[in-house]
Amino acid sequence: MPPALAPLPDNVPRVRIACTINGESIVREAPVDCTLLTFLRDIVGLTGSKGACLEGECGSCTVLIDGTPVTSCLMLAAQADGRALTTIEGLADGNALDVLQDKFIETGAAQCGYCTPGLIMAARAVMQSNPRITEAELITALEGNICRCTGYASIIEAVRRAYRTLTP
Amino acid sequence: MFHQPRDLEKALRLRADHPAATVVNGATDISVALNHGALHPQAFIDLSRIAVLRAVNREGDHYVMGAGATFAQLGRCHLRALREAALSVAGPAIRNMGTIGGNLVTASPAGDGCVALLAMGGDVELTSAARGPRWVDIRSFFRGYRQTELAADELVTRVRVPYNPATRWYKIGKRGAVNISLVCCAVARRPDQTYGLAFGCVGPTPLFAPQAEALLGRAPLTPERIDAAAAQAETEVAPIDDHRGSAAYRRAMCRTLAHRLLTDLAASDGKGDADAASAGAAA
Repeated sequence: MPPALAPLPDNVPRVRIACTINGESIVREAPVDCTLLTFLRDIVGLTGSKGACLEGECGSCTVLIDGTPVTSCLMLAAQADGRALTTIEGLADGNALDVLQDKFIETGAAQCGYCTPGLIMAARAVMQSNPRITEAELITALEGNICRCTGYASIIEAVRRAYRTLTP
Repeated sequence: MFHQPRDLEKALRLRADHPAATVVNGATDISVALNHGALHPQAFIDLSRIAVLRAVNREGDHYVMGAGATFAQLGRCHLRALREAALSVAGPAIRNMGTIGGNLVTASPAGDGCVALLAMGGDVELTSAARGPRWVDIRSFFRGYRQTELAADELVTRVRVPYNPATRWYKIGKRGAVNISLVCCAVARRPDQTYGLAFGCVGPTPLFAPQAEALLGRAPLTPERIDAAAAQAETEVAPIDDHRGSAAYRRAMCRTLAHRLLTDLAASDGKGDADAASAGAAA
Protein backbone atom coordinates (compact mmCIF):
# COMPACT_ATOMS: atom_id res chain seq x y z
CA MET A 1 0.00 0.00 0.00
CA PRO A 2 1.25 3.51 -0.75
CA PRO A 3 1.56 5.93 2.19
CA ALA A 4 -1.15 8.41 3.13
CA LEU A 5 -1.27 11.18 0.56
CA ALA A 6 -3.13 14.07 2.12
CA PRO A 7 -2.77 15.48 5.62
CA LEU A 8 -5.91 15.05 7.68
CA PRO A 9 -7.77 18.22 8.64
CA ASP A 10 -7.37 19.25 12.28
CA ASN A 11 -10.89 20.51 12.87
CA VAL A 12 -12.84 17.29 12.20
CA PRO A 13 -13.12 14.34 14.60
CA ARG A 14 -11.22 11.29 13.40
CA VAL A 15 -12.07 7.62 13.35
CA ARG A 16 -9.82 4.58 13.13
CA ILE A 17 -10.75 2.27 10.28
CA ALA A 18 -9.46 -1.29 10.08
CA CYS A 19 -10.42 -3.20 6.97
CA THR A 20 -9.11 -5.51 4.29
CA ILE A 21 -8.47 -4.00 0.87
CA ASN A 22 -7.66 -6.40 -1.95
CA GLY A 23 -6.59 -9.03 0.55
CA GLU A 24 -4.33 -6.74 2.55
CA SER A 25 -5.24 -5.65 6.09
CA ILE A 26 -4.91 -1.94 6.66
CA VAL A 27 -5.54 0.44 9.55
CA ARG A 28 -5.86 4.17 8.89
CA GLU A 29 -7.33 7.23 10.51
CA ALA A 30 -9.88 9.27 8.60
CA PRO A 31 -12.09 12.29 9.25
CA VAL A 32 -15.43 11.10 10.61
CA ASP A 33 -17.28 12.55 7.59
CA CYS A 34 -14.89 11.06 5.01
CA THR A 35 -16.54 9.07 2.24
CA LEU A 36 -15.17 5.68 1.30
CA LEU A 37 -14.03 7.04 -2.08
CA THR A 38 -12.00 9.84 -0.48
CA PHE A 39 -10.58 7.32 1.98
CA LEU A 40 -9.47 5.00 -0.79
CA ARG A 41 -8.01 7.71 -3.01
CA ASP A 42 -6.59 10.30 -0.62
CA ILE A 43 -5.81 8.32 2.53
CA VAL A 44 -5.02 4.80 1.30
CA GLY A 45 -3.65 6.06 -2.02
CA LEU A 46 -5.62 3.74 -4.31
CA THR A 47 -6.70 6.09 -7.08
CA GLY A 48 -8.17 3.52 -9.45
CA SER A 49 -11.70 4.17 -8.20
CA LYS A 50 -12.89 7.39 -9.81
CA GLY A 51 -15.06 10.22 -8.56
CA ALA A 52 -17.01 11.78 -11.40
CA CYS A 53 -20.47 12.94 -10.37
CA LEU A 54 -20.18 12.45 -6.58
CA GLU A 55 -23.96 12.15 -6.37
CA GLY A 56 -24.86 8.65 -7.47
CA GLU A 57 -25.46 9.22 -11.16
CA CYS A 58 -22.39 7.64 -12.74
CA GLY A 59 -21.10 4.55 -10.92
CA SER A 60 -17.43 5.42 -11.60
CA CYS A 61 -16.58 4.91 -7.92
CA THR A 62 -18.05 1.39 -7.68
CA VAL A 63 -16.14 -0.99 -5.41
CA LEU A 64 -17.08 -4.30 -3.80
CA ILE A 65 -17.70 -4.76 -0.10
CA ASP A 66 -17.77 -8.43 0.83
CA GLY A 67 -18.52 -9.05 -2.85
CA THR A 68 -21.45 -6.62 -3.07
CA PRO A 69 -21.13 -3.59 -5.35
CA VAL A 70 -21.52 -0.17 -3.74
CA THR A 71 -20.88 3.37 -4.90
CA SER A 72 -17.96 4.38 -2.68
CA CYS A 73 -18.68 8.11 -2.97
CA LEU A 74 -22.06 7.57 -1.31
CA MET A 75 -21.01 5.79 1.85
CA LEU A 76 -18.88 6.75 4.81
CA ALA A 77 -15.40 5.32 5.13
CA ALA A 78 -16.17 4.38 8.75
CA GLN A 79 -18.96 2.11 7.51
CA ALA A 80 -16.30 -0.06 5.87
CA ASP A 81 -14.64 -0.84 9.20
CA GLY A 82 -14.19 -4.58 9.57
CA ARG A 83 -15.20 -5.28 5.97
CA ALA A 84 -13.37 -6.81 3.01
CA LEU A 85 -13.09 -4.42 0.08
CA THR A 86 -12.14 -5.12 -3.50
CA THR A 87 -11.13 -2.27 -5.78
CA ILE A 88 -10.00 -2.23 -9.39
CA GLU A 89 -6.40 -2.50 -8.15
CA GLY A 90 -7.25 -5.91 -6.68
CA LEU A 91 -8.17 -7.64 -9.94
CA ALA A 92 -4.91 -8.04 -11.85
CA ASP A 93 -2.35 -10.52 -10.58
CA GLY A 94 0.88 -8.66 -11.23
CA ASN A 95 1.01 -8.17 -14.98
CA ALA A 96 -1.66 -10.81 -15.58
CA LEU A 97 -4.91 -8.97 -16.16
CA ASP A 98 -8.28 -10.09 -14.88
CA VAL A 99 -10.41 -11.57 -17.65
CA LEU A 100 -12.70 -8.50 -17.61
CA GLN A 101 -9.78 -6.13 -18.03
CA ASP A 102 -8.52 -8.29 -20.86
CA LYS A 103 -11.87 -8.34 -22.65
CA PHE A 104 -12.44 -4.58 -22.17
CA ILE A 105 -9.16 -4.00 -24.03
CA GLU A 106 -10.03 -6.60 -26.65
CA THR A 107 -13.36 -5.00 -27.56
CA GLY A 108 -12.30 -1.37 -27.21
CA ALA A 109 -14.65 -0.94 -24.24
CA ALA A 110 -12.34 1.61 -22.65
CA GLN A 111 -11.93 4.90 -24.48
CA CYS A 112 -11.34 7.82 -22.11
CA GLY A 113 -11.30 5.14 -19.41
CA TYR A 114 -12.81 7.16 -16.61
CA CYS A 115 -15.87 4.93 -16.20
CA THR A 116 -13.91 1.71 -16.74
CA PRO A 117 -12.95 0.84 -13.15
CA GLY A 118 -16.54 1.21 -11.99
CA LEU A 119 -17.92 -0.77 -14.90
CA ILE A 120 -15.43 -3.57 -14.40
CA MET A 121 -16.23 -3.77 -10.69
CA ALA A 122 -19.99 -3.84 -11.40
CA ALA A 123 -19.39 -6.59 -13.95
CA ARG A 124 -17.09 -8.48 -11.60
CA ALA A 125 -19.80 -8.43 -8.92
CA VAL A 126 -22.49 -9.81 -11.19
CA MET A 127 -20.19 -12.49 -12.64
CA GLN A 128 -19.72 -13.74 -9.08
CA SER A 129 -23.37 -13.49 -8.02
CA ASN A 130 -25.02 -14.58 -11.27
CA PRO A 131 -22.90 -16.98 -13.33
CA ARG A 132 -25.75 -17.86 -15.74
CA ILE A 133 -26.94 -14.40 -16.66
CA THR A 134 -29.59 -13.36 -19.19
CA GLU A 135 -29.07 -10.42 -21.52
CA ALA A 136 -31.67 -8.38 -19.62
CA GLU A 137 -30.02 -9.15 -16.28
CA LEU A 138 -26.67 -8.10 -17.67
CA ILE A 139 -28.05 -4.74 -18.82
CA THR A 140 -29.64 -4.21 -15.39
CA ALA A 141 -26.42 -5.12 -13.60
CA LEU A 142 -24.60 -2.35 -15.45
CA GLU A 143 -27.42 0.22 -15.49
CA GLY A 144 -25.89 2.26 -12.70
CA ASN A 145 -22.70 2.93 -14.65
CA ILE A 146 -22.53 5.69 -17.24
CA CYS A 147 -20.10 5.71 -20.16
CA ARG A 148 -20.10 8.79 -22.41
CA CYS A 149 -17.63 7.45 -25.00
CA THR A 150 -18.44 3.98 -26.16
CA GLY A 151 -22.20 3.75 -26.56
CA TYR A 152 -22.09 0.63 -24.34
CA ALA A 153 -22.13 -2.01 -27.10
CA SER A 154 -18.43 -2.75 -26.73
CA ILE A 155 -18.78 -2.85 -22.94
CA ILE A 156 -21.62 -5.35 -23.03
CA GLU A 157 -19.67 -7.40 -25.57
CA ALA A 158 -16.61 -7.38 -23.30
CA VAL A 159 -18.64 -8.72 -20.38
CA ARG A 160 -20.29 -11.32 -22.61
CA ARG A 161 -16.86 -12.52 -23.71
CA ALA A 162 -15.67 -12.63 -20.10
CA TYR A 163 -18.72 -14.76 -19.26
CA ARG A 164 -17.82 -17.19 -22.04
CA THR A 165 -14.54 -17.92 -20.29
CA LEU A 166 -16.34 -19.14 -17.15
CA THR A 167 -16.22 -22.88 -16.77
CA PRO A 168 -19.78 -24.19 -17.12
CA MET B 1 -17.66 10.39 16.94
CA PHE B 2 -18.82 7.50 14.81
CA HIS B 3 -21.29 5.25 16.61
CA GLN B 4 -22.06 1.91 15.06
CA PRO B 5 -24.47 0.12 17.41
CA ARG B 6 -25.15 -3.58 16.82
CA ASP B 7 -28.58 -3.61 18.47
CA LEU B 8 -31.62 -1.37 18.49
CA GLU B 9 -31.63 -0.66 22.22
CA LYS B 10 -28.11 0.77 22.00
CA ALA B 11 -29.06 2.78 18.94
CA LEU B 12 -32.07 4.30 20.70
CA ARG B 13 -29.96 5.28 23.71
CA LEU B 14 -27.38 6.87 21.39
CA ARG B 15 -30.14 8.74 19.58
CA ALA B 16 -31.43 10.12 22.89
CA ASP B 17 -27.95 11.01 24.17
CA HIS B 18 -26.65 12.58 20.94
CA PRO B 19 -29.47 14.62 19.41
CA ALA B 20 -27.03 16.48 17.15
CA ALA B 21 -25.59 13.30 15.63
CA THR B 22 -26.49 12.50 12.03
CA VAL B 23 -28.31 9.17 11.71
CA VAL B 24 -27.37 7.11 8.65
CA ASN B 25 -28.02 3.66 7.29
CA GLY B 26 -27.04 3.51 3.62
CA ALA B 27 -25.77 7.11 3.92
CA THR B 28 -26.45 7.58 0.20
CA ASP B 29 -28.38 10.83 0.58
CA ILE B 30 -26.22 12.45 3.26
CA SER B 31 -23.07 11.61 1.28
CA VAL B 32 -24.21 13.80 -1.60
CA ALA B 33 -24.38 16.73 0.82
CA LEU B 34 -20.95 15.80 2.22
CA ASN B 35 -19.49 15.66 -1.28
CA HIS B 36 -20.89 19.10 -2.01
CA GLY B 37 -19.46 20.47 1.24
CA ALA B 38 -22.97 21.39 2.33
CA LEU B 39 -22.81 19.53 5.66
CA HIS B 40 -20.08 19.03 8.23
CA PRO B 41 -21.41 16.61 10.84
CA GLN B 42 -19.21 16.00 13.85
CA ALA B 43 -20.95 12.76 14.85
CA PHE B 44 -22.83 9.91 13.20
CA ILE B 45 -25.03 7.06 14.38
CA ASP B 46 -24.79 4.30 11.78
CA LEU B 47 -27.71 1.84 11.84
CA SER B 48 -26.40 -0.40 9.07
CA ARG B 49 -25.11 -3.14 11.41
CA ILE B 50 -28.43 -3.70 13.19
CA ALA B 51 -29.64 -6.98 11.72
CA VAL B 52 -33.21 -6.76 13.05
CA LEU B 53 -33.82 -3.58 11.04
CA ARG B 54 -33.25 -5.51 7.79
CA ALA B 55 -36.08 -8.00 8.31
CA VAL B 56 -38.91 -8.18 5.74
CA ASN B 57 -41.74 -10.55 6.68
CA ARG B 58 -45.42 -11.19 6.39
CA GLU B 59 -46.91 -11.01 9.87
CA GLY B 60 -50.59 -11.96 9.88
CA ASP B 61 -52.56 -9.28 8.04
CA HIS B 62 -49.53 -7.08 7.41
CA TYR B 63 -46.39 -7.01 5.36
CA VAL B 64 -43.73 -5.68 7.73
CA MET B 65 -40.43 -4.17 6.68
CA GLY B 66 -37.57 -3.14 8.92
CA ALA B 67 -36.47 0.43 8.31
CA GLY B 68 -33.09 -0.91 7.21
CA ALA B 69 -34.53 -3.00 4.38
CA THR B 70 -32.58 -1.97 1.30
CA PHE B 71 -34.04 -1.19 -2.11
CA ALA B 72 -32.25 -4.33 -3.30
CA GLN B 73 -34.30 -6.32 -0.77
CA LEU B 74 -37.53 -4.53 -1.64
CA GLY B 75 -36.81 -5.23 -5.30
CA ARG B 76 -37.65 -8.86 -4.42
CA CYS B 77 -40.75 -8.21 -2.28
CA HIS B 78 -44.31 -9.33 -3.01
CA LEU B 79 -45.81 -5.85 -3.15
CA ARG B 80 -45.73 -5.02 -6.81
CA ALA B 81 -45.73 -1.21 -6.63
CA LEU B 82 -43.05 -1.20 -3.93
CA ARG B 83 -40.97 -3.76 -5.81
CA GLU B 84 -41.11 -1.80 -9.05
CA ALA B 85 -40.52 1.50 -7.24
CA ALA B 86 -37.49 -0.01 -5.48
CA LEU B 87 -36.06 -1.29 -8.76
CA SER B 88 -36.54 2.15 -10.31
CA VAL B 89 -34.28 3.74 -7.71
CA ALA B 90 -30.74 4.52 -8.94
CA GLY B 91 -28.69 1.48 -9.99
CA PRO B 92 -27.86 -1.84 -8.32
CA ALA B 93 -24.92 -0.53 -6.27
CA ILE B 94 -26.99 2.22 -4.67
CA ARG B 95 -29.94 -0.15 -4.17
CA ASN B 96 -27.57 -2.28 -2.08
CA MET B 97 -27.15 0.68 0.28
CA GLY B 98 -30.27 2.88 0.34
CA THR B 99 -33.08 1.85 2.70
CA ILE B 100 -36.81 2.38 3.01
CA GLY B 101 -36.29 4.04 6.41
CA GLY B 102 -33.91 6.52 4.83
CA ASN B 103 -36.38 7.14 2.02
CA LEU B 104 -39.08 7.96 4.60
CA VAL B 105 -36.95 10.21 6.82
CA THR B 106 -35.38 12.05 3.88
CA ALA B 107 -38.99 12.75 2.87
CA SER B 108 -38.06 13.99 -0.58
CA PRO B 109 -41.07 14.68 -2.82
CA ALA B 110 -39.27 12.31 -5.22
CA GLY B 111 -39.12 9.47 -2.67
CA ASP B 112 -40.25 6.58 -4.85
CA GLY B 113 -40.64 4.15 -1.96
CA CYS B 114 -42.72 6.70 -0.04
CA VAL B 115 -45.15 7.06 -2.96
CA ALA B 116 -45.68 3.31 -3.16
CA LEU B 117 -46.26 3.12 0.60
CA LEU B 118 -48.70 6.03 0.56
CA ALA B 119 -50.86 4.31 -2.05
CA MET B 120 -50.93 1.01 -0.16
CA GLY B 121 -51.50 2.73 3.19
CA GLY B 122 -50.13 1.47 6.47
CA ASP B 123 -48.12 2.69 9.40
CA VAL B 124 -44.61 3.78 10.26
CA GLU B 125 -43.20 2.66 13.61
CA LEU B 126 -41.28 5.40 15.41
CA THR B 127 -39.37 4.32 18.49
CA SER B 128 -37.62 6.19 21.28
CA ALA B 129 -35.74 4.91 24.30
CA ALA B 130 -37.91 6.99 26.62
CA ARG B 131 -41.38 6.24 25.24
CA GLY B 132 -41.00 3.01 23.33
CA PRO B 133 -42.62 2.43 19.94
CA ARG B 134 -45.61 4.23 18.41
CA TRP B 135 -47.30 3.54 15.08
CA VAL B 136 -48.03 6.60 12.94
CA ASP B 137 -50.32 6.45 9.91
CA ILE B 138 -48.08 6.75 6.84
CA ARG B 139 -50.55 9.34 5.60
CA SER B 140 -49.79 11.72 8.45
CA PHE B 141 -46.04 11.02 8.54
CA PHE B 142 -44.98 13.70 6.03
CA ARG B 143 -45.45 17.17 7.54
CA GLY B 144 -43.86 19.45 4.95
CA TYR B 145 -40.92 19.77 2.61
CA ARG B 146 -38.42 17.26 4.02
CA GLN B 147 -40.21 17.35 7.37
CA THR B 148 -41.76 14.37 9.13
CA GLU B 149 -43.44 13.29 12.34
CA LEU B 150 -40.14 11.83 13.61
CA ALA B 151 -39.15 13.36 16.98
CA ALA B 152 -35.57 14.28 17.83
CA ASP B 153 -35.09 11.22 20.04
CA GLU B 154 -36.82 8.72 17.74
CA LEU B 155 -35.75 6.34 15.01
CA VAL B 156 -37.93 4.89 12.28
CA THR B 157 -37.86 1.21 13.10
CA ARG B 158 -40.49 -0.53 10.94
CA VAL B 159 -43.13 0.03 8.26
CA ARG B 160 -46.22 -2.12 7.84
CA VAL B 161 -48.69 -2.39 4.98
CA PRO B 162 -52.08 -4.17 5.02
CA TYR B 163 -51.64 -7.42 3.13
CA ASN B 164 -52.40 -8.39 0.34
CA PRO B 165 -53.09 -5.31 -1.84
CA ALA B 166 -53.29 -5.14 -5.64
CA THR B 167 -50.96 -2.39 -6.80
CA ARG B 168 -49.47 -0.69 -9.84
CA TRP B 169 -46.56 1.72 -10.26
CA TYR B 170 -45.15 3.95 -12.97
CA LYS B 171 -42.33 6.47 -13.01
CA ILE B 172 -41.76 9.08 -15.68
CA GLY B 173 -38.17 10.25 -15.85
CA LYS B 174 -35.61 11.27 -18.39
CA ARG B 175 -33.67 8.01 -18.54
CA GLY B 176 -34.28 4.29 -18.33
CA ALA B 177 -32.07 3.87 -15.27
CA VAL B 178 -30.59 5.95 -12.46
CA ASN B 179 -33.70 7.94 -12.94
CA ILE B 180 -35.00 10.55 -10.54
CA SER B 181 -38.74 10.87 -10.91
CA LEU B 182 -40.22 13.66 -12.96
CA VAL B 183 -43.59 12.35 -11.88
CA CYS B 184 -44.36 8.98 -10.36
CA CYS B 185 -47.65 7.38 -9.43
CA ALA B 186 -48.74 4.38 -7.42
CA VAL B 187 -52.27 3.00 -7.14
CA ALA B 188 -53.52 0.31 -4.82
CA ARG B 189 -56.68 -1.62 -4.07
CA ARG B 190 -56.27 -2.42 -0.41
CA PRO B 191 -57.53 -5.52 1.40
CA ASP B 192 -60.55 -3.49 2.68
CA GLN B 193 -61.42 -2.78 -1.00
CA THR B 194 -60.68 0.95 -0.74
CA TYR B 195 -58.32 2.54 -3.24
CA GLY B 196 -55.13 4.52 -2.81
CA LEU B 197 -53.69 7.02 -5.33
CA ALA B 198 -50.30 8.54 -4.57
CA PHE B 199 -47.90 10.74 -6.50
CA GLY B 200 -44.29 11.87 -6.31
CA CYS B 201 -42.68 15.15 -7.41
CA VAL B 202 -45.95 17.06 -7.56
CA GLY B 203 -45.90 18.82 -4.20
CA PRO B 204 -43.67 19.53 -1.19
CA THR B 205 -43.95 15.92 0.00
CA PRO B 206 -44.90 12.60 -1.51
CA LEU B 207 -48.68 12.97 -1.54
CA PHE B 208 -52.00 11.20 -2.02
CA ALA B 209 -55.31 12.24 -3.55
CA PRO B 210 -58.04 11.71 -0.92
CA GLN B 211 -60.91 13.14 -2.96
CA ALA B 212 -60.11 11.00 -5.97
CA GLU B 213 -59.90 7.99 -3.66
CA ALA B 214 -63.29 8.92 -2.17
CA LEU B 215 -64.80 9.01 -5.67
CA LEU B 216 -63.67 5.42 -6.15
CA GLY B 217 -65.07 4.32 -2.79
CA ARG B 218 -65.17 0.54 -2.50
CA ALA B 219 -67.04 0.00 -5.74
CA PRO B 220 -65.68 -1.97 -8.68
CA LEU B 221 -63.56 0.06 -11.09
CA THR B 222 -65.54 1.12 -14.15
CA PRO B 223 -64.26 3.31 -17.02
CA GLU B 224 -66.52 6.14 -15.80
CA ARG B 225 -65.22 5.96 -12.24
CA ILE B 226 -61.64 5.80 -13.46
CA ASP B 227 -62.17 8.87 -15.68
CA ALA B 228 -63.65 10.80 -12.77
CA ALA B 229 -60.97 9.80 -10.28
CA ALA B 230 -58.10 10.60 -12.66
CA ALA B 231 -59.60 14.02 -13.42
CA GLN B 232 -60.07 14.67 -9.72
CA ALA B 233 -56.51 13.56 -8.88
CA GLU B 234 -55.13 16.18 -11.25
CA THR B 235 -56.75 18.90 -9.11
CA GLU B 236 -55.27 17.57 -5.88
CA VAL B 237 -51.59 17.84 -6.74
CA ALA B 238 -49.44 20.96 -6.44
CA PRO B 239 -46.51 20.67 -8.82
CA ILE B 240 -43.94 23.37 -9.58
CA ASP B 241 -41.92 24.25 -12.68
CA ASP B 242 -38.30 23.18 -12.40
CA HIS B 243 -35.39 22.09 -14.57
CA ARG B 244 -36.87 18.61 -14.95
CA GLY B 245 -40.32 19.60 -16.16
CA SER B 246 -43.15 22.09 -16.04
CA ALA B 247 -45.95 22.15 -13.52
CA ALA B 248 -48.51 21.86 -16.30
CA TYR B 249 -46.84 18.74 -17.71
CA ARG B 250 -46.59 17.15 -14.30
CA ARG B 251 -50.23 17.87 -13.54
CA ALA B 252 -51.33 16.39 -16.85
CA MET B 253 -49.19 13.30 -16.23
CA CYS B 254 -50.83 12.73 -12.85
CA ARG B 255 -54.16 12.34 -14.62
CA THR B 256 -52.65 10.18 -17.34
CA LEU B 257 -50.81 7.87 -14.95
CA ALA B 258 -53.74 7.54 -12.56
CA HIS B 259 -55.96 6.64 -15.50
CA ARG B 260 -53.51 4.17 -16.96
CA LEU B 261 -52.71 2.40 -13.71
CA LEU B 262 -56.33 2.18 -12.53
CA THR B 263 -57.34 0.82 -15.92
CA ASP B 264 -54.62 -1.80 -15.70
CA LEU B 265 -55.71 -2.67 -12.17
CA ALA B 266 -59.33 -3.03 -13.31
CA ALA B 267 -58.21 -5.55 -15.92
CA SER B 268 -56.41 -7.66 -13.34
CA ASP B 269 -59.45 -9.67 -12.11
CA GLY B 270 -59.18 -8.53 -8.50
CA LYS B 271 -56.17 -10.57 -7.46
CA GLY B 272 -53.76 -9.23 -4.86
CA ASP B 273 -50.09 -8.81 -5.74
CA ALA B 274 -48.99 -11.97 -3.96
CA ASP B 275 -51.70 -14.11 -5.61
CA ALA B 276 -50.83 -12.64 -9.00
CA ALA B 277 -47.16 -13.37 -8.35
CA SER B 278 -47.80 -16.99 -7.37
CA ALA B 279 -50.20 -17.47 -10.30
CA GLY B 280 -47.49 -16.10 -12.59
CA ALA B 281 -44.95 -18.44 -11.05
CA ALA B 282 -47.26 -21.40 -11.53
CA ALA B 283 -47.97 -20.49 -15.15
